Amino acid sequence: MKRFAMICKMETILFLRDFFSAFFTLGFPALMLVMFGSIYGNEPMYPGADLGAMEASVPAYAVMVMGVTGLMAFPLTLAGYKEKKIYKRFDATPAGKGQIILAQVLVNVAMTFSGIVLLLLLGKILYHTRIQGSIGSVCVSLVICIAAMFSMGFLFTAIGRDAKITNLLCYLFYFVMLFLSGATIPDMLFPESVKSVSKFLPMTHAVDLMQGVFAGESLGSHGAELLVLGAVTILFTGGGAVLYQKKDWA
Amino acid sequence: MAEAIIQVESLNLTYRSIRAVQDVTFSVKPGEILAVIGPNGSGKTSTVECVEGLRKPDSGTVRVFGKDPWVHRNEVYRSMGVQLQETEYPSKIRVGELCRLFAGFYDRPADWNALLSQMELEEKRNRRVSKLSGGEKQRLSVLLSLMGRPKLIVMDELTTGLDPEMRRQIWVSFENIRNSGVAMVLVSHYLDEVEALADRILYLEKGTQQFFGTKQEFREYAKGRISENEWDDSFSLEKLYLLLTPKQKGISMEDIL
Repeated sequence: MKRFAMICKMETILFLRDFFSAFFTLGFPALMLVMFGSIYGNEPMYPGADLGAMEASVPAYAVMVMGVTGLMAFPLTLAGYKEKKIYKRFDATPAGKGQIILAQVLVNVAMTFSGIVLLLLLGKILYHTRIQGSIGSVCVSLVICIAAMFSMGFLFTAIGRDAKITNLLCYLFYFVMLFLSGATIPDMLFPESVKSVSKFLPMTHAVDLMQGVFAGESLGSHGAELLVLGAVTILFTGGGAVLYQKKDWA
Repeated sequence: MAEAIIQVESLNLTYRSIRAVQDVTFSVKPGEILAVIGPNGSGKTSTVECVEGLRKPDSGTVRVFGKDPWVHRNEVYRSMGVQLQETEYPSKIRVGELCRLFAGFYDRPADWNALLSQMELEEKRNRRVSKLSGGEKQRLSVLLSLMGRPKLIVMDELTTGLDPEMRRQIWVSFENIRNSGVAMVLVSHYLDEVEALADRILYLEKGTQQFFGTKQEFREYAKGRISENEWDDSFSLEKLYLLLTPKQKGISMEDIL
């Protein structure tokens, strides 16, 4: 346990030393919130709406944080370690690569929660945003959304022959989903043609689920989103695991 | 007679259709240094990676400390240190941090501060591993292989990239380590290193075992394969090896000498 804690500590330090991961997980979403909050405030999104603009933005930006860690930071670390044979080196110690990979998953998940907590605190302090849903529903949704994002990243590392291909897949899917899912631009502004593409993206369902439970809707009213995200998690993790069985780690 | 630390019998390993290792048998006893030699692509690294538990053999038996290293890898690594042929470390980690991390993997780690000064890396403690020179990285790899106070060390190209002075310093260090009863497997292209350190030699070519025995027996083996008019008793191991390997490539004596 002491050994695993030490590995986690080291992976946390390495995560924070990587400008891209640290900034886009902890800094950028918070910056977006402050920037757009200073323009729009937390006024209702449309006349008569219960939800303020920032109250809708916080859960959407939370999904953005999950995308950074699940589709960028975690898979790119995994692909890099694999290509440079760093896992192989750890395999040649009593620790083994399993503990390193587990630590990387945990650290990335912890950083995701840190980024989201930062968003919640900033929203609360600066714009008086509220979470109207139950804490239980919010937590369940967070876990399901994070699992779906990380499973996509995991599959991309398994598909990519090398780190370059994994990077390409991750960047492509991350940015397409970022802009077409409603995580950055509210989906109500999308034309119908974009909306028809958007509904096929897992991140769109994550944004819908998170915005819904934050606004006080029950998990039961988001059965479709839960089903899609659950299926993505199972299929992508399973697919990645099958592909990894065929890979040569040495 | 001391029980063998490594026991390999009829080892076979295939990568897709390529037979990388064919029917290789050898053993290593405590306090013994085995040098694995042979041309590039002869199966040296594949053979030692089976010993290291990093590759699963297709057939044959590999036992390290009496255990199958593929099955009991973590257990075996408590007493085995390795230096891999090609390896990197997380690019943003510092030398001292990496040493502390590796020290944490073992129940009774070596004093890594002393190892840092022995490897002349003391001043690089706060430097990122990615900023080290090739030779410094190589010394760091050697240092990390010693972290668990191993009873067996497997070194794949121990002194590649090191200057002659450091190579000789490492030879002396390894000679001392061997004298304390530690066994070593040394994959090397440097025959002067093999001459200086090895007790026994495993010579591979195209994945097949050509020779396994002592240095003196290797001389006898070579003598039997070199014509009398080419033979000289004073030949170094390197010259013997060069005379043996190009036979298949049609290179003449004049090309070598």
